[in-house]
Amino acid sequence: MIVYLLLPIIASLLAPFLKPKKATHLISLSFLIPFFAACFELFNFTTTEIPLLSFSPPIGEFYVLIDPISSAFGLTVCMVSAMVGYYSFPYMLHRFEEMGLGENEYRKYIVIYGLYAASMLWLVYSGNFIMLYIFLEISLITSFLLIYMYGYGNRRWVGLLYFIWTNVAGVLTLIGFIVIAMDNSTLAIKGISAISMVAWLLIFVGMVIKLPGLGPHIWLPWAHAEAPTPVSALLSPLTVGLAGYILLRVYLIDPSFIQAYRNPIMIYAIISSVYAGFAVFKQMDYKRLLAYSTVSQMGYILIGLCLGTYGLIGVVIQYMSHAFGKSILFMTAGGIIASYHGLRDLRKMGGLHEQIPSISNAALLGFMNLGGILAIGMFGEFFILRGVVDVFGFEISTVPLIVAVVFIFILSGWYSFYTLKKIFYGTPKDLERPKISRYLDVPLYLIGILSIIFIFPPLITVLLNGLKAIIGGGT
Amino acid sequence: MTESLLMAAIIILTLGAIFSLKDHRIGFAASVVSILLAFASLTSETYFFGFFVIAIGVLNLITLFISENQIKGIDYAITAMLIFATILVIQTENFAVLIGTFVLVSVPTYILVMLSDREAKLDVGIKYITFMVFATIIFIIGAFLVVYFYKEMNPSIYIIGYVLLVLGLGLEVGIAPLHEWVPDVFSAADPIPISIIASIAKIVPFIVAFKILIATTNPVTYSITMFAAFLAVLSMFTGNIGALTSRELGRVLGYSTVANMGYILATFVAIVKPEFIYLAISGALLQLFANSAGKIGFFTAIKKEGVSAPFTYTLALSFIGIPPLMGFWSKLFITLALVYSGYVWLAVLLVINSAISVPYYIRLARELGKGWGYGIANIVGLIAVLITVITFYPPDWFVQSVKFIIETFGVAL
Repeated sequence: MIVYLLLPIIASLLAPFLKPKKATHLISLSFLIPFFAACFELFNFTTTEIPLLSFSPPIGEFYVLIDPISSAFGLTVCMVSAMVGYYSFPYMLHRFEEMGLGENEYRKYIVIYGLYAASMLWLVYSGNFIMLYIFLEISLITSFLLIYMYGYGNRRWVGLLYFIWTNVAGVLTLIGFIVIAMDNSTLAIKGISAISMVAWLLIFVGMVIKLPGLGPHIWLPWAHAEAPTPVSALLSPLTVGLAGYILLRVYLIDPSFIQAYRNPIMIYAIISSVYAGFAVFKQMDYKRLLAYSTVSQMGYILIGLCLGTYGLIGVVIQYMSHAFGKSILFMTAGGIIASYHGLRDLRKMGGLHEQIPSISNAALLGFMNLGGILAIGMFGEFFILRGVVDVFGFEISTVPLIVAVVFIFILSGWYSFYTLKKIFYGTPKDLERPKISRYLDVPLYLIGILSIIFIFPPLITVLLNGLKAIIGGGT
Repeated sequence: MTESLLMAAIIILTLGAIFSLKDHRIGFAASVVSILLAFASLTSETYFFGFFVIAIGVLNLITLFISENQIKGIDYAITAMLIFATILVIQTENFAVLIGTFVLVSVPTYILVMLSDREAKLDVGIKYITFMVFATIIFIIGAFLVVYFYKEMNPSIYIIGYVLLVLGLGLEVGIAPLHEWVPDVFSAADPIPISIIASIAKIVPFIVAFKILIATTNPVTYSITMFAAFLAVLSMFTGNIGALTSRELGRVLGYSTVANMGYILATFVAIVKPEFIYLAISGALLQLFANSAGKIGFFTAIKKEGVSAPFTYTLALSFIGIPPLMGFWSKLFITLALVYSGYVWLAVLLVINSAISVPYYIRLARELGKGWGYGIANIVGLIAVLITVITFYPPDWFVQSVKFIIETFGVAL
């Protein structure tokens, strides 16, 4: 496995010496190979550790942690990174042209892109909290650089905003880890037995900024809307959700904090999700709209975290479904930008299905994932709902809670079809019919197909059994 | 063997200084040879320390090529003296030699600070020398009081000694509230000599202070440690706020030094916890090395009006403490040492300070980073970056070597 994990890093370092097209294929291929490896690990229920190096206490051993959870996250990261990699090729060349930069700029871009995606892949396989923090920060710097160099609008300001917010999030989490180190004299995940409330609080607050929850979410719409689209298509589906992964790992060691403050966190998560869900309707910029939808969807992850074993399975599946769906959607936004010279304003769109049917159909697949309709998101919503009933019981007093959670699911479907109608259906506007590069639509369908075949056996049974074995609970 | 190697190093250095009057490159070559000889005198446990010192020292010598000063040729030998003292200080347990090395890194900088491309900067020199002489005297008095009175268990004299030692150190390296000279001198003097003063010259004072204080730990130390913690916090905030509000790049770097010295002084609280002192010293040394590499890179960039942007950004990110650059590991070790010593509040303040330093380091990187380029300034930038990225391989090797080094950390009385 470790060889497969090293591939993306090696490929990123080699890529600048190749022509843009070859470099793109190299990078994407280097993510597809670990994708299949991760699927293979998932099928085998592999749970193992590969030691990397030992470190003096209180840092402890660095190792690669492989279990069904990291396989599930790993395969998602690989798939999305590979597909967005293909997609970047025409998109970024178009962007460089717009910015007046030459094709040579692609060399710089592809190295940073590769390292960014690889750092997220390594993050989910990290068996030591310091190692995890290192990859978290590498993904932060690389994505910051991509926004800072190639973003839209006031990109320098947005880049710094993003960097400072998420750096604060990372630093709070780091202090949390240090407190864990003091209590356990190791930071290797297998060696930690207790996590104090202080450490939990710091990690939780840090990760809620990164996730983000309502309140600290202000950086996200800016960063996700102004980043170059391939970066948005990693930032929103993969990076922010990794905060959920970190919380999940901490929860599996010691769930005391969540158990103690279950109700307030649950209420906060529901409010956060509902608020952001309604905020979607107010957005007139397609990418900003998707960013608000991310805040709403990340509320699901916080909700799932409060809901015991079923909820945790829901968190993993929700991450996958959101990653698949949102990466497709950001790529459709990018497709429209590339076809119509930076068109992002919803008011100028309408009936685009006539002009760009391939992108429109891909968007349908993406919104099916968000709404939990006939795609893997369906299982995510099922497990979250099952968790609600399991943890809070099914009585008259809990009906409002169940209704609230169901309402969030309905809200997602509602804004999905609202957006779909506003952009792709309805009266066509007078726009020409552009020629779409195959790189700009095929990757979207590949992700879409994966998200649908994941609801059928053997994939879904393997995934659920694997998660059940690690997390516990029923199928 | 050790002594003869060190003697040979000194002789070559002296001869090189004399012959450098004919051709300044002789001075450079003799300096490099002599510090390599000094390096050879190290034992295997101290190789990593020596490696970093030599790397930073050679970097200092290379930067002198950029500077056209009044004593061209001898400036290499003067800088090599600082490197020599830094290698000597890690090996000795003799109190007199320790004090000697302290003076040895102080006095050569009196000359360096006045050098410039045109005429000698006497006003800067006078200001600097006044402060430094004062610092050296306070430090030495403090060291004597601490060493000779801790055994007699005379708490009041020990405390006076401790305070004088820390204040002397503070004046020497620039710790608030005795940092006044730092921003002024850093912005007024020539960038190249200042980069030497800001890098290699900072290492010895800390090691001497560490050795003396560790050797003289006694129950009274617990009560006075708070003094160092207080100065450390003051220094971090003064430095970072000063840097955030300064416009001139030299001043920003001066205040950044004040903040960095605060981070390092914070490790003094770990002296009372012998079981985790290795974390404190690993952190302090790595922070000194990271600070040196960064300061050399940035000052060279000021002198040559910019180096390649990837270099300045890497150095800035290292200062901010982004993993896996060296600045991250040093702050991580310092923070761990503070938490273990029971100074959680100090650890939290340190982390907050490193977060608020982000804007000015990014500003430095942006204003000094200019596309891609070649030339001597970029070679310096490249070596400085290589020093900070060496910790891509997690530096447990350095921690292990420090564990050996501190076994011999002490003063033979």
